[in-house]
Amino acid sequence: MDFAVMIFLSSGLFLGWSLGANDASNVFGTAVASQMVRFTTAAVVCSLFIMLGAVFSGAGAAHGLGALGSLNTLPGAFMAAFSAALTVLWMTRLGLPVSTTQAVVGAIIGWNLFSGSLTDLGVLSKIVATWVACPLLGALFGAILYKLMVMLIAWSKIHLLRLDAYTRWGLILAGAFGSYSLGANNIGNVMGVFVSASPFTDFDVGDVFTFTSVQQLFFVGAIAIAVGVFTYSKRVMMTVGSSLLPLNPQAAWVVVVAHSLVLFLFSSVSLEHFLASRGLPTIPLIPVSSSQAVVGAVIGIGIMHGGKGIRSLRWRVLGNIASGWVTTPIIAAVLCFFSLFILQNVFDQKVYQTVEYRLSPEVVQHLKGAGVSTEPYGAVVGETIAGSKRFRLHLQEQAGADPDQLQQIVGASEIYPTRIDPGKLQALREANRGYLSGVQLASIEHLEGRSFSHKWQLAQALEAQSNSWKFREKTTLNKIYNGQLQERLGYVMEHFHQDD
Amino acid sequence: MAANKIALFGKTRRLESEIDDFLDTVSQGGILFEETLRHYIDKGPDEFFEQRQQQISDIESNGDRLVKGIVRSLYSEMLIPESRGDVLSLLQDMDYLLDQFEKICFCVDVERPEVGDVSADLRKSFQDLAHVAVAAVEDLIRSVRAFFRDFNAVRDHLHKVHLLEEEADRLSLYLKRELFRSEFPLSRKLHLRQFIDMVDGIADEAEDVADRLAIYTIKRSL
Repeated sequence: MDFAVMIFLSSGLFLGWSLGANDASNVFGTAVASQMVRFTTAAVVCSLFIMLGAVFSGAGAAHGLGALGSLNTLPGAFMAAFSAALTVLWMTRLGLPVSTTQAVVGAIIGWNLFSGSLTDLGVLSKIVATWVACPLLGALFGAILYKLMVMLIAWSKIHLLRLDAYTRWGLILAGAFGSYSLGANNIGNVMGVFVSASPFTDFDVGDVFTFTSVQQLFFVGAIAIAVGVFTYSKRVMMTVGSSLLPLNPQAAWVVVVAHSLVLFLFSSVSLEHFLASRGLPTIPLIPVSSSQAVVGAVIGIGIMHGGKGIRSLRWRVLGNIASGWVTTPIIAAVLCFFSLFILQNVFDQKVYQTVEYRLSPEVVQHLKGAGVSTEPYGAVVGETIAGSKRFRLHLQEQAGADPDQLQQIVGASEIYPTRIDPGKLQALREANRGYLSGVQLASIEHLEGRSFSHKWQLAQALEAQSNSWKFREKTTLNKIYNGQLQERLGYVMEHFHQDD
Repeated sequence: MAANKIALFGKTRRLESEIDDFLDTVSQGGILFEETLRHYIDKGPDEFFEQRQQQISDIESNGDRLVKGIVRSLYSEMLIPESRGDVLSLLQDMDYLLDQFEKICFCVDVERPEVGDVSADLRKSFQDLAHVAVAAVEDLIRSVRAFFRDFNAVRDHLHKVHLLEEEADRLSLYLKRELFRSEFPLSRKLHLRQFIDMVDGIADEAEDVADRLAIYTIKRSL
């Protein structure tokens, strides 16, 4: 195993540790703080299910590259992960629950600023929306669920001890499911960027099960998360579970369930597809985050208690938590920016690879086909410009710009050389294990030896080979299909990308 | 895990039944106490009285054993963390009432107060006092049961405890006033007054426990 890869992998593990230390509070904070579940029990269950979630439902290889995938060198990814981890660690030391994903996105923005790459403003607006919408939804669900539960307990006349036993198991089960999702959804943030550099090889466990290299990598990341849970998560758990508002055990359970419901209802593409396929109205999908939903649910329960509950809420703690949300991506961005500067100039590491953009005649033709007029940018055609930000500015200097059109032009002009290299094709066949269908693989084989300058060219060539590479009409029902196809396409592009 | 779950619910059910058994024990203690006192006032210290007194003593020992077991389970299993302290105090208060039943019978047995020449009216009033004190404890037991199963109903029983305590005070005052107006020597008056105070004390203690239970109920209300 390459020593450099080991060093770079360490920042992913550090990020995993920070994630475990901070995010475990979302699933077990209220249970531990209300003394219903011992910290050790919570840590064992949480770690076990995080590992299971990461290994068996961890986002696939291509998807794993999603968040940090735009970082095109390993040292750059190392520093982004390191900055995000350091930011989350800082917040954890302050006992504040924050979103690790937002810290990662903040670090990527820092990288974008340093490398002169464009930052999708949509990402920023999504983060801000999460700070507002998520606590509100959490509060609403927390309040309604709490009211229903109080009514149910009064109606059922359940014995105090039996209620205690059911609540305890409810907390452990909800925590286990939450931990499973935590592992499945976040392992991509922790280890995604290292998938292509995985030092492991597949091995079979009898004839029953194959432990793939990606699963092994995710397992290592999950261990880092588990260590974070064991060693450092108690303080944030206490903030969530008791510092903000002392919660009774039933309220503790309501918080965990309300947060899971918010996450499921407002971010589940599968649920949206299920409703749409039965002709039912769908629930609008919005960006959601566990930390924000949990805090919202606690506030909702406080409000349900009326004046007494509102007075019991420690608003100063809430203010600290909210300021932690706002500062997390900012700190991560600033930290990443300056760390990249040091890494590049002191340690002489290539922290980003310059991406070039060219509005070639083929690109103009392609955009015309997509209904995007490039006439105002005639002077730019054929010119090669380094960095998406500079390219976009250059386009803007030519003509007043519609942001959507500019985005499309920048996207289509990106030079992303790919070659269907026979060696890489063989490697793809071996590593595939059903991720790409036989037809999809056959269409790639047909393109053997061909080279492409832009991503869309490869996509078009594949589409021409087979309908299995064709995107469907953009409807709610087709969202999952198109999303999966996009993931696979991204995976193929990454696989055949020629770095130099 | 499934096996543990069943075991855990099994333990819960066992503990629920132990709490019910303990409250039944306190209730039995009250019934026996009233009957023993009534018998002593009517018939004096005979063999039946001694049998009853022994029964109360056994019941008290059983109550102690049950409370110890319940408290040990509550703490070792880390059950009901939020209400554990309140439940512990409540059970100990109930156990104290059971102790009082035994203690009064024990005092009667040792001191053998003379009641044969006390007027029928006073003897009847003394029996009524014992009845009212035990009734206060009975309603307190109902409140405690409701605290575990239906805490919205706790108040319905608690107000009866207060009413009965007032009735016990009224009877005790009447008894003492009549006793000190009688021609008995002062030593007998003081001796009998001590027993009136002891029985009235049971109703007072029931009321104090009821007040604390009202606070625990407010704390438990979700």
